[in-house]
Amino acid sequence: MIAVGIVWPAVQTIGLAFVDAHGRFVGLQNFVSVLQNPETVDLGRFPFHSPPWGSLLHNAVWIVLHLPLSVILGLLLAVLLQRAHGAAFLKGVVFLGMVIPMIVGGVLVRFLFDEHAGVVNGVLRAVGLAAWARTWTDYPQTALFALILGSVWLWTGFAMLLYSAGLTAIPRDYYEAAAVDGASPWQQFLHVTVPGLRPMTTVIVAMTVLWELKLFDLVYTATLGGPGGSTLVLALQMYFYGFRALDPNRAAAVATLLSLLTLAVGVGFVRSSREGA
Amino acid sequence: MHQRTMHRRSPLGRPRGGRALPVVASLLAAALLLGACGGGSAGTGANGGKAGGGAASAPVELTVIAGWAGAEQSQFMPVLKEAEKKLGIKITYRIYRAEDLANVLPPQFQAQQAPGDVIFMWDWWVKQNHQYAEDLTDIWQPQASQFTVPAAEVDGRVYALPYDMNVKPGFWYRKSFFEKNGLQPPKTWDEFLALLEKISKIPGVRKPIVSGDGTGWPLTDETEHFLITFGGPELQKDLIAGRVKWTAPRVRDIFQSRLIPVLQYSSAPIEWTQAIDLWWNGQYALYFMGNWITGMVKDPNDLGFFPLPGAKGIVGATDYLFVPKYGAHVAEAKKLAAFLISREGQALRVRQGGGKLSPRRDVPLDQAPAVDRMVAEQIKGMEILPDLDDSIGGDWQRLFWDQLKLLWVQPSSLDRVLRTLEQAREQQSTSGK
Repeated sequence: MIAVGIVWPAVQTIGLAFVDAHGRFVGLQNFVSVLQNPETVDLGRFPFHSPPWGSLLHNAVWIVLHLPLSVILGLLLAVLLQRAHGAAFLKGVVFLGMVIPMIVGGVLVRFLFDEHAGVVNGVLRAVGLAAWARTWTDYPQTALFALILGSVWLWTGFAMLLYSAGLTAIPRDYYEAAAVDGASPWQQFLHVTVPGLRPMTTVIVAMTVLWELKLFDLVYTATLGGPGGSTLVLALQMYFYGFRALDPNRAAAVATLLSLLTLAVGVGFVRSSREGA
Repeated sequence: MHQRTMHRRSPLGRPRGGRALPVVASLLAAALLLGACGGGSAGTGANGGKAGGGAASAPVELTVIAGWAGAEQSQFMPVLKEAEKKLGIKITYRIYRAEDLANVLPPQFQAQQAPGDVIFMWDWWVKQNHQYAEDLTDIWQPQASQFTVPAAEVDGRVYALPYDMNVKPGFWYRKSFFEKNGLQPPKTWDEFLALLEKISKIPGVRKPIVSGDGTGWPLTDETEHFLITFGGPELQKDLIAGRVKWTAPRVRDIFQSRLIPVLQYSSAPIEWTQAIDLWWNGQYALYFMGNWITGMVKDPNDLGFFPLPGAKGIVGATDYLFVPKYGAHVAEAKKLAAFLISREGQALRVRQGGGKLSPRRDVPLDQAPAVDRMVAEQIKGMEILPDLDDSIGGDWQRLFWDQLKLLWVQPSSLDRVLRTLEQAREQQSTSGK
């Protein structure tokens, strides 16, 4: 089943990336075409102009912002809710974001930042920042960041849940010993909790980066990669090449690049896990 | 569909003992593999089985697929109900957007399957994929002279038929809003700008014009109206055919001196159905939209519209239908297609309202609701032109929507937008896709 369902299509895809529309071998031409396209990397605009910066850089920005935000927020929530009253309910509420299909999440994020119906703009108006109220996903300056912030809300539950499980595995003795030695709660957090959660952090970081790389559905429904390509990501670009431009060869080149990136993360994760074991 | 599936599975019976499960699973896997490799035999597919596979008395069940939801769906259903009575069939209606169908249909057709028996789709798409469509020439030819628009033809054979026509005639307003504020539809460009200025000073109005969004297509309709008004109907045709570049000075000038000055009076793109409510409630005064808006407001008689002063043409978008080769009941599907484009079927649709005009000459205007008659009267003498982005299609269409969304909020990016559109147009023309 693995050979038929995964290996063979993967080999076919890689093969497609090295041929042209007539099946002739063209070496790296499709990769060069993709990477030279400003849709993929636009160094002329990055970082001093507003997006679009190209799908590859958008994915990178996603990782740089979304990863720390969702991981740190997940950790804080897990620690804060560890012994709180009604923790199970609150965790359930936070985890709802993960239960929502991302295709629906995209619609929610879009309306979250809507000028007329959005909660974010409602809050801005309520605190006297009405001048900032506008549909964030409409503007190239804010669309990418709106999607990233929205997806933090959707993804934080994942990190929180895994950290909550990780916290139960840290022996209470460690905290008691640290307290006897005069460690403050902050020092206990820094020197007991954080190292104790290291294996969990590895899993969360790896899974989150993989999600950020293969991101598609949320962007598709929220902005379709716009305006002006300012939220385009690699997986969506691959889809546009394959199913809108009907160019399977360039789509395969993007797919191969994406696979290489995810493979690098996967290998890093496995190595890190082995070192930790 | 479900019944047929159940029937196929029933002979396998209930697994007995622990060894039955792998056997059943193996048989199912083998059946699936054989089905996939065989690609389905003639007459199977579509709805999953052979025509007439059920009991002799059971009516044939057809699936009709179109993108109409909400009010448009409600207006279409009486036509299907009438077809059920006339043809003695059962019809199931399913909603799929053309954008989604464009992705879903090719792999299904390649596997000799079809999700529906009559499918509404872009004409350019059907032409590109005509090998999967039934030849409808025999249905079309006897009545072709009655139609104002062509069928989708490839090498002299007809593969898709025109069903209904919408026009994108101009800026819609509420008559009551104009009366209350002492406003008049403009007759010159200067009057238009003065009207926008006057509206912008009315308390409670956020902006004079609300801009519809979604995937971005409402912005293209407005843009095309500017191009046709100030470049003439020929410009629309030339841009579709690729005879004029997007970066040409005359095209750029229309954007720079006509469209962009209006954008300061326009909202940022707002989801287009949400925009209808905001406009109807008076937060905005004008809305550029197709005439299907007449079926989406509380009081169509309160509607008025005006084209840009000097417009000699407007876009008329035609919905086309085709019959896929792999439907389970191709003969019945053809009969349904014939009914839908017949004088009777067309008159019935036009009576339901919602801005659907008939492409048939012999369906008189008096069949239509008052608001639709008003539209038809007001656009008399104007050239009906094909929709630009629908005609070009492909990935360029998606790019056009997206680039206009950028232009609407960042007019300073005009040259970049036009350059991007031209490069993509050239690339699409070269690749032939």
